[in-house]
Amino acid sequence: MSSTPRAVAATPLPRPSGRATRFRRRQGWVVGVALLLGVLIFWRYSQIPAFGPFEIRGIVAGTMTLALLAMAQSVIVISGGIDLSVGAMMVLANCIAARLMLEQDLGPVVLIALAVVAVAMVLSGLIGTIAVVSGVPDIVVTLAASFVLSGLALIVLDSPGGGTNPRFQQLLVGGFDEPLPATLWLAALLLLIWLPFKRSRLGIATYAVGSDRAAAFLSGVRVGRTRVIAYVLAGFFSGMAGIVTTAFTGSGEPRASIGATATLTSVAAVVLGGVALLGGSGTLLGPVLAAFCLSLIPALMLGLGWDPNYAEVARGIIIIVVVMIGGLVQIPRRSR
Amino acid sequence: MAQPLLQATAVAKAFGPVVALRAVDLSVAPGEVHALLGANGAGKSTLVKILTGVLRNDAGTVAVNGAEVELNSPTEARDKGLAPVYQDPAMIRDLTVEQNLRLTGADPARVRHELAGMDLDGLDLDEQVRDIPLPFLRMLDLARALAFDPQLLVLDEITAALPPDLSERVFAIMTRWKRRNRSVLFISHRLAEVREHCDMCTVLRDGRDVASFHPGREGGESQIVAAMLAEAGAQVRDVARERAARAEAEGERTPRLVVRDLLIDRQDAGVSFEVAAGEVLGLAALEGQGQDRLFEILSGNVRAAGGEILVDGRPLRARHPYDAIRRGVVLVPANRLLALLPQRPIRENIAIPLFNRIGRWGPINVGRERRQVRDAVERLSIDTRAAAQARRLSGGNQQKLTIGRWLAAGFRTLLLFDPTRGIDVGTKHQIYDLVRELADGGAAILMFTSELREIGLVCDRAAVLHNGAIVAEMPPTASESDLLTAAHGLEVTAV
Repeated sequence: MSSTPRAVAATPLPRPSGRATRFRRRQGWVVGVALLLGVLIFWRYSQIPAFGPFEIRGIVAGTMTLALLAMAQSVIVISGGIDLSVGAMMVLANCIAARLMLEQDLGPVVLIALAVVAVAMVLSGLIGTIAVVSGVPDIVVTLAASFVLSGLALIVLDSPGGGTNPRFQQLLVGGFDEPLPATLWLAALLLLIWLPFKRSRLGIATYAVGSDRAAAFLSGVRVGRTRVIAYVLAGFFSGMAGIVTTAFTGSGEPRASIGATATLTSVAAVVLGGVALLGGSGTLLGPVLAAFCLSLIPALMLGLGWDPNYAEVARGIIIIVVVMIGGLVQIPRRSR
Repeated sequence: MAQPLLQATAVAKAFGPVVALRAVDLSVAPGEVHALLGANGAGKSTLVKILTGVLRNDAGTVAVNGAEVELNSPTEARDKGLAPVYQDPAMIRDLTVEQNLRLTGADPARVRHELAGMDLDGLDLDEQVRDIPLPFLRMLDLARALAFDPQLLVLDEITAALPPDLSERVFAIMTRWKRRNRSVLFISHRLAEVREHCDMCTVLRDGRDVASFHPGREGGESQIVAAMLAEAGAQVRDVARERAARAEAEGERTPRLVVRDLLIDRQDAGVSFEVAAGEVLGLAALEGQGQDRLFEILSGNVRAAGGEILVDGRPLRARHPYDAIRRGVVLVPANRLLALLPQRPIRENIAIPLFNRIGRWGPINVGRERRQVRDAVERLSIDTRAAAQARRLSGGNQQKLTIGRWLAAGFRTLLLFDPTRGIDVGTKHQIYDLVRELADGGAAILMFTSELREIGLVCDRAAVLHNGAIVAEMPPTASESDLLTAAHGLEVTAV
């Protein structure tokens, strides 16, 4: 086989890219965000005289909701869509959970939590199915869905209230100086849900659909089904976000503006976390780290004695600057 | 005769009003390398997509080993033993090769084995697809198809982007497949390859199969070319002869657009040609010979790797279509909806390029704009009943509009890329008349066409592009078969 019948110039094989290049391309952004987070944490550490478990727990538990929403948003964005209903989904899950969990024992509360997450998965899957079957762009369907879900939340709980079991709170977000539970939950979701999914054929199909729908179809991927499954997974994460909110605040809060703000912040975390809005690339770890960065910035500004309104401006500027720098670093890879 | 491995009967497919396949029969015997041939737009790619489950046929049947099959998806086609390698590699750029293999359910070990068989085991499957050069992607795609051990391997123009040594490896695979009593459906524009490696060929024309024979026999090549073309050419030649005579009488004309050694890609030889004022230069080429890129460069959309463009004797270095337009060089692209604002009215569509001329700053002179637009609409006889939204116009009227908007703005050099694609015959002739009228009015026109008869109908001269270089210049009286022969990169024997 090695000798071709005619004397023709042999085309040289492409040189494989080096390990360093490969690492930079595939993990570079996550490493960058992790470094940024490290700097921010160190800064915060130097601001507070006694930086201990209490502060860490405050940061982790306070960010968990946003981190989970960022995960939900990332799954959808990776599959080539965008979900403007994750925040509303979280609010709805929060309201259902707070209403049902009020003055219940731990056992029923856990069951309720599981049921609420299941409901969120079904609803999100339904939203995804509508987007796939109707062919209406994701952004329109999920925006409309966010109004429906916000309305449902108000029907479930017409004013702030409800409650949950203190032991359940302890279990999910930990006591005031226990940073471990929240951290472990986040890590467990990343390691036990996301990693196996990403490595599965379904996970690869999700990236494929986000990268190039036509080529994915030619490769035998069932495009519609894959997109719906991405929505179901996103529903799982936003349902979890609602449960965590319930545990963290101990009540339900049906205000629609909370959901809207949370949705937009989740998109910011996705962008800052290195998931391309065009779909098909990125991972969930980046957005989770980015979520921490985003929630540390207001605290830092407060520590500096700034007006909280300026903190929002700073947050916006940081997103733009980081994404711009990231874009510049990645340009050689984009040019064909 | 033995039972055919693949038997397609009366397969038809239409995309809206455009009929791609009228009724095609195709029969591939076991152990046969079968070539599928046809001019651009004859329906080859559509047929391949139907056979591999990408498109559903509107009518007709496909049978594998005598049993009728339904091919609803690429996976189903693969399960039935039909594995394709498409013109564009069906690999996802953001994933690694290995991930792409898992996506289709191909066994990486088998793919590696097939790659080793092609002497390509040096390829790293952990590399991202975006980092692998196109020829090797095709080979990977081929290896992936082979790993499914298909009964029929479908190769859609696989050799078009391959260097000779890799092409040889593809031919070796084809021979091996034949020896195993399996079959290959081979699509290529290179007739030499077809003659050398194929046992049978089926020629498509206008969505029908017009001939099936052994291409390697004596005179096979001319038989292929004859089958690919429609017969009626006499009338066309009369028109062309008349025009050639008139051009002769006028004598030398001043060149408007001069292109010297323009490097379309990174090849060695560049493209050189001239278009004079009042002249239509026809460009003939098979698909993918660099014509798309040439037009993009000339219109200022893409910068050339090297070479020179002169407009009226002065070099044009366009960084942006704006620069080219200001020098009077304008493009009418093949994709009309790309050029137009589909949801805006005719008036605005025509007026957009006008803005460059009607006052750059301040409010637009509405009266003047309206006058110029009206003139253009009348001159083109655009049917204005659907004037509110350009996308509602018929294809022909849209095409008139894309030309018309430049007409109102004023231009000196017009680049027409396949202006009559997907337009009905009547409107085609209106467009031919318009092109001639514009040329007689002093415009220099470069027109690429995928319909060779348009060269005779409209053009003053023809240039043939092959592999990113002009390989021949011909008078408009040149026969279609001569043009086609040259477009295949072959020597034209009798001129």
